[in-house]
Amino acid sequence: MTEALLQAVLSGLAVGGAYALVALGFSITFTTTKTLNFSHGEFVSAGAFIGMSALFLFLGLPVTSTTFGQALPGAGAQLIALAAALGVMGLLGWLLYVIGVRPFAGRPGMAWVMSTLGFGVILQSIGLAIWGPKPVVVPGPVGDSVIRLFGVGVRPQELLTLGVAVVIMIVFDFVMNRTMVGKAMRAVAANGNVASLMGINTNAVMIGAFVVSSALAGLSGFLLAPIAQASLFMGLTVGLKGFSGAMIGGLSNPRGCVIGGFVLGILESLVNLWSAQWREVAVFALVILVLAFRPTGLFGKQMVEKV
Amino acid sequence: MKLSKHFLGATLFALALIGVTSFLGNDYYLRIVFMMCVYYLCAAGMNVLVGYAGQKSLGQAGLFAAGAYAVALLTTRTEISPWLALVLAAVISAVCGVLIALPSLRVKGPYLAMVTLAFGIVVEKLVGEWTDVFGGAQGIYGIKALTWNDQPLTPLQWVWLGIVLCAVTHLLLRNLLQGRFGRALLSLQADEIASSSVGVRVYRAKVIAFVVAAVTCGIAGALVAQQNQYINSDFITFHLSIFILLLVLFGGAGSQYGPLVGAVILTIIDASLARWPSAQHFLYGFLLLFALYFMPGGVAGLLSKWFRKPTSAPEASSAAQGLTRIGPQGEGELLVAQGVTKNFGGVKPAQNVSFKLQRGHIHALIGPNGAGKSTMINMLTGLLDPTEGSIKFLGEEVSNRPVHSICRMGIGRTFQNLRLFADLSVLDNVMLGRHTRMTNGFFATLFAIPSARKQEAATRARALQLLDLVDLLHLAHQPAGSLPYGLQRRVELARALATEPQLLLLDEPAAGLNPQETAELGALLVRIGKCGVTILMVEHHMDLVMSISDHVIVLDYGIKIAEGKPAEVQANPRVVEAYLGVDEPEQATAST
Repeated sequence: MTEALLQAVLSGLAVGGAYALVALGFSITFTTTKTLNFSHGEFVSAGAFIGMSALFLFLGLPVTSTTFGQALPGAGAQLIALAAALGVMGLLGWLLYVIGVRPFAGRPGMAWVMSTLGFGVILQSIGLAIWGPKPVVVPGPVGDSVIRLFGVGVRPQELLTLGVAVVIMIVFDFVMNRTMVGKAMRAVAANGNVASLMGINTNAVMIGAFVVSSALAGLSGFLLAPIAQASLFMGLTVGLKGFSGAMIGGLSNPRGCVIGGFVLGILESLVNLWSAQWREVAVFALVILVLAFRPTGLFGKQMVEKV
Repeated sequence: MKLSKHFLGATLFALALIGVTSFLGNDYYLRIVFMMCVYYLCAAGMNVLVGYAGQKSLGQAGLFAAGAYAVALLTTRTEISPWLALVLAAVISAVCGVLIALPSLRVKGPYLAMVTLAFGIVVEKLVGEWTDVFGGAQGIYGIKALTWNDQPLTPLQWVWLGIVLCAVTHLLLRNLLQGRFGRALLSLQADEIASSSVGVRVYRAKVIAFVVAAVTCGIAGALVAQQNQYINSDFITFHLSIFILLLVLFGGAGSQYGPLVGAVILTIIDASLARWPSAQHFLYGFLLLFALYFMPGGVAGLLSKWFRKPTSAPEASSAAQGLTRIGPQGEGELLVAQGVTKNFGGVKPAQNVSFKLQRGHIHALIGPNGAGKSTMINMLTGLLDPTEGSIKFLGEEVSNRPVHSICRMGIGRTFQNLRLFADLSVLDNVMLGRHTRMTNGFFATLFAIPSARKQEAATRARALQLLDLVDLLHLAHQPAGSLPYGLQRRVELARALATEPQLLLLDEPAAGLNPQETAELGALLVRIGKCGVTILMVEHHMDLVMSISDHVIVLDYGIKIAEGKPAEVQANPRVVEAYLGVDEPEQATAST
């Protein structure tokens, strides 16, 4: 029993790491531009598929193939694929900001909800046209042999996901709180107009926010693909759970978002032990519960509208 | 009458459609027309939610599923009549609508959109994975179709039923949206705080909007399930939610015919691209991304630019009217604040403040910036609750009551930074003020019973009267946001008066007005005072305060430092000190 629990917690932490990355992505764009990327989930899928295509190219397979067969990409190939995924996703984030967010940001009516949603639908339909709806098994960069840890079996990819997520969080936290770039981002978040009067290029900061946020989504997709197979539909639930994590922790607080992501991953994996069907329902029930008592999340700041 | 003319038009249109479809022998075309009707139903309800209430719901597929699976389970597991099942499906969807609306009581904007998205996904997962009940991808067979004379409907009859349902939905929703409810929904979309301050029960209105959208969507789902006699989890996808949203946005959110235009065009596109699903999805994504950019009003918005109706003629002044009586006459204490204290952490904008407002007087609340004047107004109107102390209006406690109910008790207000519903006409803004004084309920409005229509007419007449009082009658049909600043202030004043306040709170009514306008405002306030309205105003223009007020209260750093007649206050050394600092007294005689 304890082994099963420990197993569940460990894999929950790994998936939670991916959720935390997604949650952090939501938090970054929300604090700087007051907008969210409603196709963040599709960006997760896109990250997985771009990494996968890079691996195909490296192995000399056509991009449109849907299986790796016996081929196993080396560590170098995986690193290049990671770089490609991050780079392309960053570019997509920039594109999304320019055509989908900037024209609508700060205006009433939340038209950006529709435009970012539409962007994701386009990405997904392009993916479907190329690869079709079937999921693809992607080989992990650290092999697929199970490691024994505290008496339970863990896949190395899960440990890698957890490790990478934790490192990214620490680096991000350091950048936000200790560097000039981080201060600029927080200044834009607090008040964009005043920040621009102080000589901060708010446009660049906002573009940067979308680039970083999208790259994080791509990263979590890249890390999740070997765990759960790459699928064009994997992103929607990952994105939603990432957002749920962010809501639980508080969208305005990056550290809270990270904690929320991990909490959600563990909760989901524990509920899964008991009943797979109710997994999603339990997750969203928790979100509703948190919102009912603390609408701005557990660690979020109360927002007061001045009258 | 205008209403019956529209009724006649819609009926004739529906009959004509029924006639035309009778000659469509082809089942494929009949199917397309039927789907148009189904999607129109979805879109018409969704328009109430998205176009009027301004709530983005991304989970309509969940409500579609609620209706579809309700009829499926009801007719396969019980023996009830298919017609009754259809009605029950609508009820069940309404319950789901309430469920999805509950989070809206706590969260707004993007949060809410994400919650509705999650609702849609949860339903999608449930019907897909809980195979014992919902059958998953296998689906549920043998759903009983609607019957006529004990025979299942023919394809043609299905189309007729669809057309009749659409026409009825259109007429009912038109009744709802053209009067009290439509205005209330539009106002909460524009500004929830202002909306509740004129007495709109914001949460209730939102829940109603969600329920209306849920019912029409549920009926649409039930019709599809009953017509196919089959439903499975492939029907309920995220793309359906997006499609329903797109019907409204592409057609024209907030416009009467937008959903119709959207349903017709998009159903045709959907049918012609059915063979290439990824092209279909690509197009929807493309439309979502760019439609709002190139045509914010949707197709209906573009069309209305070409067929612009001549703007209604300005209202003529209904001759010289005597003074408009608003509040009851009388004397005595109207409002008593006792020991009111408010803490925001370390900031204390009110500390143990007590004062009384006399009926029929013009009171002024003055003090330097940061003295806590606006906070006091916000506590009196319920936007903030005092940390300690009591506020009694006509002997009843005000604090801890919701904003709309305080408005109903008879306290009206204006805002320091104007909060008009900028896109609505001046007349609609003022009519909204009378929202709480109208007694026609949801169903009375829905079915446009005569008393509801009478209420509407009375409200309109009253609003015009008030516009006359503030000299804005000639601008009644202009959008409020297009007026110059000084006139907007007067619109807000008229809106507050329309709530029939006994006490009117004005937060810096003369801010941004030039001396000429300020003098006019002073005269107007005195006129309003004579109509039986007690006034409490926060103001910095001392000449205005000193010339019209009967009684002045002075706050400084949350403490009441003086009150009394204007002249007494002016001479009070503590007041002078608060405004000008400690200095030689003879230098500080100036009134500002």
